Amino acid sequence: MEERNPAQWRFGRRRMHSGPGETLLSALLGKGLPLLQRSIRLHRPRAPYCGVGDCTQCLVRVNGVPNVRACRYVPSPGDTVRTENSWPSPSYDLLGILDSLFRNGVDTLHGFRRPSWAAPLFHSVVRRLAGYGRRPEPVGVPTVPRGRSRKTPFLVVGAGPAGRQAASRLRKEGADVLLLDRDPIGDPPEGVQALASHEALFLPPPAGPQARYALLAAAPDGAAVTIAAERVILAPGAYDTSLWFPGNDRPGVMTAEGAWRFSGERDRPPFRRAVVFGGGERAGMLLDRFGTQVEAVVSPGAIDPDLVHRATALDIPLYPRTMIVEGRGRRRISSVRLASRGSGGKFSVRADAILLAHRRYPNAQLFFQAGASMRWRGSAAAYYPELGPTMETSVPGLFAAGEAAGFPDGVAAEGSGIAAAEAALGREAPVDRLPGRVAAEGRSEMEGYYRELLAFLGPHPKVVACACEDVLLSEIQTAHARGYAGIEVIKRYTGVGTGLCQGRYCLPEALLVLSILEARPPPEIGYITQRPPVRPVALGTLAGMELASAAPEVA
Amino acid sequence: MSVNQPRRTEFRVVVVGAGIVGLYTAYHLARAGAGPIAVVDRGFLSCGASGRNGGGVRQQWENPAMVRLAREAVHSYRRFGHEFGYNIWFRQGGYLFIADGPAEWERLRVVHRVVSSEGLPCRLLRPEELSRHVPGLNPGKAVGGTFLESDGTLFPFPAVWGVYEAVRRLGVEVLNFAEVSEVQREEGRVTGVVTSRGRLAAPAVVNAAGGWSADLARRAGLTVPNQATRHEILATEPLKPFLDPMVIRLRDGLYFSQTMRGEIVGGLTVPHPVGTGAGMPSSPQFLRAMAAALVDLLPFLAPLGVLRAWSGFYDDTPDGFPVIGEDPRLRGFFHANGFGGHGFMLAPASTRRVAQSVLGEKVDLDPAQFAPGRLLEAHEPLAREALQPG
Repeated sequence: MEERNPAQWRFGRRRMHSGPGETLLSALLGKGLPLLQRSIRLHRPRAPYCGVGDCTQCLVRVNGVPNVRACRYVPSPGDTVRTENSWPSPSYDLLGILDSLFRNGVDTLHGFRRPSWAAPLFHSVVRRLAGYGRRPEPVGVPTVPRGRSRKTPFLVVGAGPAGRQAASRLRKEGADVLLLDRDPIGDPPEGVQALASHEALFLPPPAGPQARYALLAAAPDGAAVTIAAERVILAPGAYDTSLWFPGNDRPGVMTAEGAWRFSGERDRPPFRRAVVFGGGERAGMLLDRFGTQVEAVVSPGAIDPDLVHRATALDIPLYPRTMIVEGRGRRRISSVRLASRGSGGKFSVRADAILLAHRRYPNAQLFFQAGASMRWRGSAAAYYPELGPTMETSVPGLFAAGEAAGFPDGVAAEGSGIAAAEAALGREAPVDRLPGRVAAEGRSEMEGYYRELLAFLGPHPKVVACACEDVLLSEIQTAHARGYAGIEVIKRYTGVGTGLCQGRYCLPEALLVLSILEARPPPEIGYITQRPPVRPVALGTLAGMELASAAPEVA
Repeated sequence: MSVNQPRRTEFRVVVVGAGIVGLYTAYHLARAGAGPIAVVDRGFLSCGASGRNGGGVRQQWENPAMVRLAREAVHSYRRFGHEFGYNIWFRQGGYLFIADGPAEWERLRVVHRVVSSEGLPCRLLRPEELSRHVPGLNPGKAVGGTFLESDGTLFPFPAVWGVYEAVRRLGVEVLNFAEVSEVQREEGRVTGVVTSRGRLAAPAVVNAAGGWSADLARRAGLTVPNQATRHEILATEPLKPFLDPMVIRLRDGLYFSQTMRGEIVGGLTVPHPVGTGAGMPSSPQFLRAMAAALVDLLPFLAPLGVLRAWSGFYDDTPDGFPVIGEDPRLRGFFHANGFGGHGFMLAPASTRRVAQSVLGEKVDLDPAQFAPGRLLEAHEPLAREALQPG
């Protein structure tokens, strides 16, 4: 690690320093997994979870600005960083008592009605409990960064294997290509213009068949960038989903991606012994990375022979067809309760972390926004854009590639990127000849898994379905019992899917669990309209947006 | 909400639209013992404007009949928790109207006079008094404002659930995912509706279809001047409470409030008269205009994240007043529409008049102001309700 010019800043009363480009969270991880947050309603302790700026578990206040994601923010010298929504600190928070008081969640729908004269008091108290941070008190006069606009014939969103291949193929054919990614793009393909660290936010449907696309993105300096493009290839990839079990929000539970990111920059994982949940390639990658710090591999279904081989070599026990039925521990996971599927035999494993590597869900938001028709693909239990006969979606000029298009494996993803580029050039590139696409038929292991888990847990499990808004699984069950059905209505009834992660970490599970409760296949439960922006974006960024030259006119 | 078949096919009243207006109408009818009632809707519960609005409830209007209707609605919403078992978090933090020019200021003075003469403690504010209600407010060119503390905001969803469950307890049949393709008529009278889930016979049909009310009237062979206009709205990341009132700036129709969950929810009352066929997309134009307006009024909000944006339909009328009562051209066809973005706030009171009209009772609140006939036989330009935003 480069230690020249470390930035000095304050975290509460502590003096901190971080290397160039190092994130706030990475600097804080030096002393192990930090507790930065208490949850919004129940004040449950929460520690960093996703590592990619989507969950609500590393929000801090920086220089008077609330809700800053520590995992994405690079401190500047002199920054003042504080925690919020806890007193006196996230480790010892007096309001933590709410968690024991409200065993079935805070029922704001039916509770706090009587006596009616107390309504103003209820309003005042409950309002104060809501919200993450206090109002912004930015240092100095906040500025509205002036937006920029760009034009390109071909725009590729996502610089993973598929996006890089697509951009590189387009370039080889002499086309001008812009390659955009929310993270730094290391070594961009030759001749391709790279827009690194730009967050794609909003891709409205084009105004007509001949109209250009206009993608709204946010640049690292906070300016809005509108990019007009004739053809767009979306390769936004996928993310690790969450898992529902009692204690699933306890500090120490994290996604596979989170585990990598948290140990990355300092090369010291924030756990001593972890349970890896998953039985495929992604679990294998965790084994390669963390080796003997993996205490056990637990899989919802069968375990890949290759993973069996790798685990056996490291002398790590394997538990195929096993459920996580509880994550125990107060401020941190200390043991994991497991139960065999089928037999129901229970046992425990001592561990201080659970790494979730069982399922990936496509980043489908931009497809939804652009109006592409989406199809449920049963084997992955997820919605993907409908393609065909080439890699073009149902919206003309919009193409899909990579994991978000249903090509999860690296080589297949690259192939899909090349095919998308060919299709964008107007050539024949039949999608059905491409290898490695997830099957439309079949059922995900997780459907049967949740059916067994629900039966095992009984009526009032304290499972946090939506960690952003502290919605419990029992609240979803209550809504179902009252006759409400379908994901759109359940969302409005319980608040599931309305938090800062935009539903990333609750909706995939909610679809499966609702399909079990309602005894209907998941596609009949529906999907939630994906609303812009893809990720929260500052009002100042939007206010400075440049529209005249790029955006299609909306009636 | 399951998609089963209706238990019966003959009703005394079929209400089209299971938003707050349709459900509340059914509630009043059922409580009056009107007989078998069905409520049908083209989508899921709360898919229309009832699930898309900002939850504002105000009594500041230029027209006394609107003030009375709104005052009664406020009274009902205060009792909602007792009556329906759901907490709608009706918080009376006030409505603050801001005028930036002499014409707007003059309009607010009229509103102040009308509201005060109805006995409500509406206050006229000087520019320097505005920031007392909204800390951090940049008064800009403001020349003054009005404030009424008993106005407020509520959480719309539980209101829908509460009335929905109440009407079901009263035996009302609520059919979701049942789109009406035709309102059937015989000799100038309504005889029933044909829906995607079968035909329902009824001598009375209530058009509570919100933005789709003109579409429904057409399916009854009637032309009405109602126009569906698309309006957009956004919500920010949740913050600890710092804003009590709903704030409305007349110049650009900017309105926003802080919900019980801590989000700033608001929009711009700039109508896009597009009709329902255009769907409900969000636009970058709105995001920019709304963000710029908010940051202009409250500069410290610039770093606050916008969480999501969505849109919905207002059902606008030429004079800005709702349409309540029987259509003079078709017996048994009743209007409960044209609320122009104020359907939710007026629902408990306005729907009582709809029910009275359906039951053939005397409508006890200035029926002429809201009668469907006024829009059909207007010889001269109609006097318009001036206070539309929010």
